[in-house]
Amino acid sequence: MMAGALLIGVASLEYFQPQHLAPFVIEKLPVRFEALWRASLKVHVASALFSFPLCLLLMTRTLRRYRAWHRWLGRIAGMVVLGALVPSGIFLSFEAKGGASVAIGFLLSAGIVLVSMVAGVRAARRGDVRLHARGMRHVVAQLSVAVTSRALLILLDVSGVDPDSAYVVALWIPVLGSAALAEVFSGRLRFSEAQFTPSISRNPT
Amino acid sequence: MTHLRTFSLSLLLLTFIPSHAGAEPTIQEWAKSRVNTGLVQALNQRDAERSRFSRVIQPPRERRLRLLTSVPSYDEKERAFASYAIDVRYGDEWRASVSGCVYRKSGQIYVQLDDEYRPAAFLLGEDVAPVKGVCLARSAPPPRA
Repeated sequence: MMAGALLIGVASLEYFQPQHLAPFVIEKLPVRFEALWRASLKVHVASALFSFPLCLLLMTRTLRRYRAWHRWLGRIAGMVVLGALVPSGIFLSFEAKGGASVAIGFLLSAGIVLVSMVAGVRAARRGDVRLHARGMRHVVAQLSVAVTSRALLILLDVSGVDPDSAYVVALWIPVLGSAALAEVFSGRLRFSEAQFTPSISRNPT
Repeated sequence: MTHLRTFSLSLLLLTFIPSHAGAEPTIQEWAKSRVNTGLVQALNQRDAERSRFSRVIQPPRERRLRLLTSVPSYDEKERAFASYAIDVRYGDEWRASVSGCVYRKSGQIYVQLDDEYRPAAFLLGEDVAPVKGVCLARSAPPPRA
């Protein structure tokens, strides 16, 4: 995941070159409120490039062991996510290519990040580590959509899937899949043992 | 002396033979070549160089250039241009991608975005503003001199 974040980081540097338009911007223009849209895109990219690797580091055992560091870096990550990443993401989602289904997908992802981050921070302040961890898993899971979605786009392109359909699928599967995985890792979603019972019983009676 | 006279006469005769090498290409031939080298190949090269690990639509398998007119059109300033369209192929499906025009005299290529036309450098990453009055044909062709 860190390698994916690094790849996105390197590719995103062109967003900050003066007098240069990144392919993503070229593909989107013209948009309503162009200056605001471009500013939001830069804020979104910069805050994601900062907060995603930081959140991944905060999940490591090493950083969890150093509580003071974890607390302070966590506060910084929380402020960047809530103050920059989510608001810019919500604004950009209204101009998302792919229409309403993609916009709703991005808004759902932003909503999960917002609710989970707030719940996670409140839980940390109460000292509820379990709930804090659950909230943060959801935040990291949704931030990881940036990586899994891009990987899926390549896979669908190689498979010959039409690019418009691929864009919708490559958003919704990672958003829903990441939310489900976060719940599984938090122990909320458990498959019943009956589902894994072998069809041939070992001890027939 | 006789050889010199024959040689001179041959040279004189040669000047009357029409030269195909110097013939001006038709607007279609010229525009196709200009847009191919100035835009289609440049877009292919940009796609080959850019990272695929991106939310940008994946590069098409192929691009196809079509000229929309067989005769030049003229804008309000009486400059000749030809309109073109570029299609892209994903899988077996062709779809319209870019349209615009190319100017005969300057060789300037423009691309259309909604109702505006920008220099084709826009598609290659240059932050250029729309240009007014280009690629719009006037209703009647200009009078011939």
